[in-house]
Amino acid sequence: MTSPELPAALWTDLQDVQPPLIAAILIGGCLAKLGRVLRSGSVDASLGPTQLFPLRLRRPLAMLMCAFEMSLGLALLVTMFPVGTRSGAALFAPRAATGARVAAATFFLVCVAALAELRGRRPDLGCGCFGDFSTQPAGWRSIARAALLAGAALISIESPALYLPPRNHGALLFLGVVCAELALIAVLSPEVSEALLRLGYTAPCELRQLPAERTLAALRRSRQWRKHAHAITTEQPVDVWRELCWRYVVYPGRLDGQDAEVVFAVQLKRRRPMVETAVLPLAPDCPAAAPGHPGAAQDRGHQEAMQLSTVVYPPP
Amino acid sequence: MVVQRGDLACCVRCAGPTSAERLARRQLLKAAVHPPAPGPLGQVRTAGTAAFPGVLTGTVLDTSPQVITICGPDGERRIALPPGAVVWKGRMTDPTALESGDSVVVRTHPGQRSVADRIWANVGRVTGLIVERDRESLLVDVGRTTGRQAVLIPPHALGRLQVRFPRLEPGYLVDFIGLRGRGFLEALVPATSQPAYRASEAPAPAAARGHAAVRVAGSAVWHETTGPADADGVRYPALDPETACLEQPLAGAGCPRLPYLSVGSLLEVRNECTGRARVLPVSGCAATAQIFCDRCVTCGTSPRGRVADLPTASFVALGGDLERGCFNATVSLGSLSPGSGPPGPVAPVSVSSGALSPGPVPTERS
Repeated sequence: MTSPELPAALWTDLQDVQPPLIAAILIGGCLAKLGRVLRSGSVDASLGPTQLFPLRLRRPLAMLMCAFEMSLGLALLVTMFPVGTRSGAALFAPRAATGARVAAATFFLVCVAALAELRGRRPDLGCGCFGDFSTQPAGWRSIARAALLAGAALISIESPALYLPPRNHGALLFLGVVCAELALIAVLSPEVSEALLRLGYTAPCELRQLPAERTLAALRRSRQWRKHAHAITTEQPVDVWRELCWRYVVYPGRLDGQDAEVVFAVQLKRRRPMVETAVLPLAPDCPAAAPGHPGAAQDRGHQEAMQLSTVVYPPP
Repeated sequence: MVVQRGDLACCVRCAGPTSAERLARRQLLKAAVHPPAPGPLGQVRTAGTAAFPGVLTGTVLDTSPQVITICGPDGERRIALPPGAVVWKGRMTDPTALESGDSVVVRTHPGQRSVADRIWANVGRVTGLIVERDRESLLVDVGRTTGRQAVLIPPHALGRLQVRFPRLEPGYLVDFIGLRGRGFLEALVPATSQPAYRASEAPAPAAARGHAAVRVAGSAVWHETTGPADADGVRYPALDPETACLEQPLAGAGCPRLPYLSVGSLLEVRNECTGRARVLPVSGCAATAQIFCDRCVTCGTSPRGRVADLPTASFVALGGDLERGCFNATVSLGSLSPGSGPPGPVAPVSVSSGALSPGPVPTERS
C-alpha cells in the first residue's frame, strides 16, 4: 500500500486482497465437498443445485463442479506470483491471471442464478457449497455471498502480483481490509454457525458412540473388576449390550461353589467411567449352565420374552 | 464372548436359540445392577402375557354372513360379525368380501372377544428402497436379513400412488400398503409421502445437546410379522452402532436422533391418539424407519421421524388402523418390574415418566 490518499489506498488494498481470498474459498469448498463424499462413500451424496438435474447427470456434474473449483482456485493462486514486498509488481502471465479472474466472476454469477433457482424449486435443500456444513436450506445469505464473491472477482481483474504487506501503518489498513471482508463473508455464510456448533459439540451420552473395546478396557482397570476378578471363570464376556448411557458386560463365574453370572454396568464416558456390579447365582437349569438343549432353551427364552411384555392402559 | 457384530446383534428372529435366551435374560441381569424404580404412587407393573388383548390373527377357514371361523395360534375361533363390522380388503367393504384362505387381523369389540369390530384381510406393506423398476412392478430392498420384495402396481392404483410417490425410480424410497399375494404385494395405498431425496442423501440429523429427551415423540409404523419372536417385540431405529444392525439396508442418518438401545431392551410405546401404551422388548432394527423423516397425521401432526416399527397385532392392539400406516406415538425406555414372576393378569397402571433417565443411583460403584 503506497497510495497517500486513504480512499485510494483502501480501494487498492481491496483489489489486491481478492484473488487469494477467492482462491482460498474455492479450494476450501472443493475440499469440504470431497470430505462429504469420502464420509458418505458416494458422489451421489452431494447437495445443492446438482439436485435440480436428472439423476444420470448429477454425479458427473458434482465431479465437474468440484474439479472446476479446485482448478480455478489453483489458477488464481499461481497467476498471482511473484511474491514480493512491493505492490504494483507486474504479473508473470497477466493474460492468464485476467482469464482466471474473469472465470471466477462468471462462476459466481452462475452460482447466484443456480442458488436462486434452487431456492425456488427445492427450498428444503442446502446449497452444498461447503459439503456437510451447507445443509441449511439455501437462503438469501448464500445468494448474497455468491454475488459478493462475483463482485470481488470482478474488481480484482486489474490487481497486480501478490506482495507481502508493508511493515508500516499501511499493514494495519491492509489487515483491516482483510478482516472486514472475512467478517462480511462470515455474516453471509450460514456454514459458520454450523462449524462453530460442531467445534464445541459433544454428543449426549445416550447418543455417543463408544467402541465396546474401550468399555472392556475401562472395566478391567476398575476397582470393581479387581474385586470380582476371582469369581470370573472365563476370559471373554458371554454378553455385552448397551442401554442409553450404560454398557452391560456379563461374565460367567462361581459364587460359593455355585454357577453364577457377574454383571458389570460401565458408564459410557471417555474418562473415569462409573462401574457397578452385581453377582447373580444361576439355577441349575439356567441357560448359561446348560446350554446344550436348544429346543428347551428356545421355549424358555420365548416365555421369558413374553413375560417382558406389559400392557399399560391409559389413566382414567 | 458373544460377538456383538454377529447373530445376537441382528435381531431376535435370526438369533439362535441360545442367543434368544440370552437376549431374554438381559433385562433380568440389568435389573440386578440397576433395580427399576417403582412407578408413581408405589405402583408396580405386573408382567403380562404377550397375547394382545382384543386382537386375533389367523387364516379364514369358513365364512358366513354372520360368523367367520379363523385358525390362529390358539386354534380355531368363531367370530361373530355384527352389522357394523367393517372389513378392509384393499378398500373398505362389508364382511361378505371375506373368503376362505384369507389371512386376517381382527380387532374385537372391547369386552367381547368373539365379536369383530374391524377386520383387515390379506393386508401387507412394503417399505424400503427401490432397486429395480419394471413397467408395472418394483423390486424393493427392505433390509439385509429380509428378502427383496416384489411390488405390483395395478394400473388403476398408479395415479393414486404417484400423487404421493412421484419418483418410482431406483434409489428412491417407497412405503406402500396393499393386498398380499403369493410372493408379491399389490400396492393400493401410499402409507406416507415420498421423501424428496434419494435414500443415500438422507439429511444429517441436527446436533443434540444435553441429555436426550426423556420421551421421544414421532410416528409408529407397522410391518408384516415374520415369526413368533418378531410378533412379540418392537423394531427400534437406533440400535447401538457397535452391534451393527444387520437389517439396515443402507446408511441412514436417523431422524430424529434416538438414544441407543440394544435388542432385548424394553421400550414403552404409547399411541397418542388412543392413549394406549404397551411395553415391548426390542426385537430388532427398524431397517427403513431411520431414513424416513415423515410425520404422522392420524391425530394432529406428529414430530418428524419414525420412532417404532410394530408388528401388525401389536399395532392394532394399540389402537392403530393398518390402512392408515401409522399413529402418533411416543416412546420411552420401559423396565422390568421388580420381582416379576409368572405371567399374570394385566394390571391397569398409568405410564411412568422419566424412564429414559441416564440410570439410577448406583449402590456399588467405582
